[in-house]
Amino acid sequence: MNPLLVALLLPSIFWTEGPKTAPTLRDANIQHILAPAPVAAQWKGVTGISVEPADLTGMVKLPVPRVDYRINEASASQEPWIYSNGWHLMRQPSARFYYDVPGPAVALAAAEAFSYSANAVIHTDAEGLKPLGEMLTFLAPLDRPEDPVLANIGFIDDGSSQSGELMNLLIRRNLLLRIVSQPDPRLDLTVRLGAGGYSKAEAADPNKLEHQIRSDLTDAKRLLRIYGTSVVIGRLTGTPGHVRVHLLNYSSRPVTGMRVRVLGEYPHHTMAASGLPSASPLDYEIVNGGTEFTIDKLNTYGVVDLSR
Amino acid sequence: MDRRTFLQIAAASPLLASEPAIPNYRIVSRYPKPAHPAMPGPYRGHAVRVRSAHSIDAASGVENASVVRQMLSAGVRALTRETKDRDAWSHFISSSDIVGIKVNCSGAPNIMSSPEVVAGIVENVMAAGVPAPHIYVYERFLGQLRSVHYDRHVAPGVNIQAVETSRGSIAGYDPDTYVEADFFGEDDTRSNMVRLVSQTFTKIINVPNMKEHQAAGVTGCLKNIAYGNFSNVSRSHRDSVSNTYSFIGTLASVEPIPAKTVLNVMDGLRGVWHGGPFSYDPKFRFYPKQILFGTDPVALDRLLIDVIEEKRKQEHAPSIFDRSPAHIRESGGLDPNFNHFVREPRHIEYASKLGLGVYDLARIQLKEIDL
Repeated sequence: MNPLLVALLLPSIFWTEGPKTAPTLRDANIQHILAPAPVAAQWKGVTGISVEPADLTGMVKLPVPRVDYRINEASASQEPWIYSNGWHLMRQPSARFYYDVPGPAVALAAAEAFSYSANAVIHTDAEGLKPLGEMLTFLAPLDRPEDPVLANIGFIDDGSSQSGELMNLLIRRNLLLRIVSQPDPRLDLTVRLGAGGYSKAEAADPNKLEHQIRSDLTDAKRLLRIYGTSVVIGRLTGTPGHVRVHLLNYSSRPVTGMRVRVLGEYPHHTMAASGLPSASPLDYEIVNGGTEFTIDKLNTYGVVDLSR
Repeated sequence: MDRRTFLQIAAASPLLASEPAIPNYRIVSRYPKPAHPAMPGPYRGHAVRVRSAHSIDAASGVENASVVRQMLSAGVRALTRETKDRDAWSHFISSSDIVGIKVNCSGAPNIMSSPEVVAGIVENVMAAGVPAPHIYVYERFLGQLRSVHYDRHVAPGVNIQAVETSRGSIAGYDPDTYVEADFFGEDDTRSNMVRLVSQTFTKIINVPNMKEHQAAGVTGCLKNIAYGNFSNVSRSHRDSVSNTYSFIGTLASVEPIPAKTVLNVMDGLRGVWHGGPFSYDPKFRFYPKQILFGTDPVALDRLLIDVIEEKRKQEHAPSIFDRSPAHIRESGGLDPNFNHFVREPRHIEYASKLGLGVYDLARIQLKEIDL
C-alpha cells in the first residue's frame, strides 16, 4: 500500500504549544503536527518536525472514548458503560473529527479513529504525547486499513438521535453493522427504525430493541463474538479470503484473557497489538464453522489478520 | 410438629409451585461420560456425618486441628468401611494421581474451607503416595485464596493455585469445555471450565462449606463444584431472578467433573445461615461443628438443606424455600426476613434428575458419628 495513503489515514496531532516543546515532541517520536496558524508560523524553521496550519472550525468534536464502570449506580446488568464513538464515525464518514483527550487515554482515541478509517485530529496534553506517539508508531506500518467493513446488519440511518443511540448500543454489543441506504441482500438483517418490526416506540427502550435485533439476527449468524470481557469492541474489515479483526480495549487497564470467534474457517493468522511486540493468538482452532482464538493480553488496540 | 415433619413440609411445598423455566443450554465438552463416574460414585445415596463439640471453639473461632484430623479419619473410614486411613483413602486416590482440592473461599477470611480440614486432606492424599507437587489447593479468585494462607498449613511443594490471577481473566479456563446459555440477553454467553480441572487433574476432592446462599438457597457440594469450576457464572442472577435452579446441576454434570470428583468433604465446622455465600456479619455465622463425607453431592446437599433450615427456624427467619415477593428486597442491609433473590434450593433436586445423586431423604443412608 502507498505509504502516503497510510499516513493520510493516521490521525493527526493538533498541538497548540510553541517551538519550545519541540524536544517533548521529538521524545514522543512525533514528526508532524497541525497547529493554529499563528502557532504554526512560530514553528517555521524547527528541524525534524513539520507543521501544518489547521483550523478546528467545522470539525465534529467527539467525546473521550472510555469505560464508565458505574459501580455506585443501580443497573439492570453488571456491564460497564462504554463511551465509543463508532456510531459518530460511521454516521458521518466524510466528516473531519476532533478529539481532545488528555493523558494516556489519547492512545485509544487514535486507535479508534484509525480502526474506523476516520479523518481525525487529536489534541492532547504533555502527558498524552508519548502514548500518542507510541500508538501512531504502532499504527503506521499496519497495511490494509481501507478494506471494506464486514457486517451482519445493514442499518438505514434516518439521522435521528434514536437511531444514533441504537447504533451506539449495537456497536457496543459487537453486533456488526454498516450504514446502508437501502436493504442489502448480502447482509443478514436490515434495521430501520419505524419499519420491519422496529418501531420508534420500541426505541424508547434501546436495550430491549437491541435484544430484539440480536434475536432476529441469531447468534449463530454473527460474524464476530467476543467472550470473557465486556470492555472490548470488535470490528471486522476484509476482502474475500482475508479478514482483519480489530479489537479496541476501552478500559484504562489491559484486558487479560478474552476469546474471539469469527464466523468462517481461516487456518492462517498474524497478529499485531499495541505495546506487545510478541503478541500471538493462543488456543487457535477452527471449530463448528468458525475460527476461535484466545488473546491473553490486550493493551489498547490489536489487529488479528485471518486468511484462508 | 417435630423438626423432621417441618422440614419435610418445607421441602415438599415448592413442588406445588411451577417449575422454573429451564434456559436453553448448549454443553460443549470433548470428554466422554465414563461408565462408572466418580460422582455420585460408589457410595451413591450414602453419607457420613461426624460431629465433635471440640472441633471448633465458637467464641474464638479457632479450630482444633487434632480433633479435625480424627473427624476426617472417622468419616472416610466409615464411608469406605475400612479400618485404616490409608486403605480408606486408597478408594479414591492412587499415587499416580494429580489431585485438585476444590476449596471454597468466597466468604474468606471469615468462613472458608478450614485450613485444618484442607491440611488433613492433604496429609492423607500424600500418605496415599501422591507427591506434594501433584496436589493443588485451588479456587477461582486469587484475593480470596490468598487471604486464607493455606500455604502455612500444608506441606511445602503443595500448589496453592488461583484460576483468575487477574480478576475476570479467562486465561485459566478451557476454551473448548463450556456451557453456553443466554439468561438475560448478556453478550458473553459462555461459562468455561477451569483448565486445571479438564486438563491437569486426574482426581478432585470437593471441600465446600455449610452456607445459605442468597440465590441458590444453600451452597454446598454442587454449587462449589459447579460455580467454583466455571467462569462467568454470576450472570445467572439479575434483579430478583436466579437461574441457579438448573445452572448449578448443568455445570456440575459437564464432563470431566463427574468423572474426576471422587470425594466430597463438606466442612461444617462453622456455617452461614443468612447473607451467604459471604460472611461479613458475624451474627449470621453459626457452628454446626460437623463434617459430612460422601461421593454423592446431592445426598450431602440434601442434608445441608436441613442444617440451614433448622438454624433459620431457630432464628425465626423465613424458609429458604420461601418464594414470597413480600420477602424480596433488592437493596439495603442484611435482614433475615428479606433476601435479594428468590432462592432456588431445589437446584439440588434438579441435579438429582441429571443423575448426580439421591435427593429423596428416605433413600439417603446417613451414618452419624459423634466424637
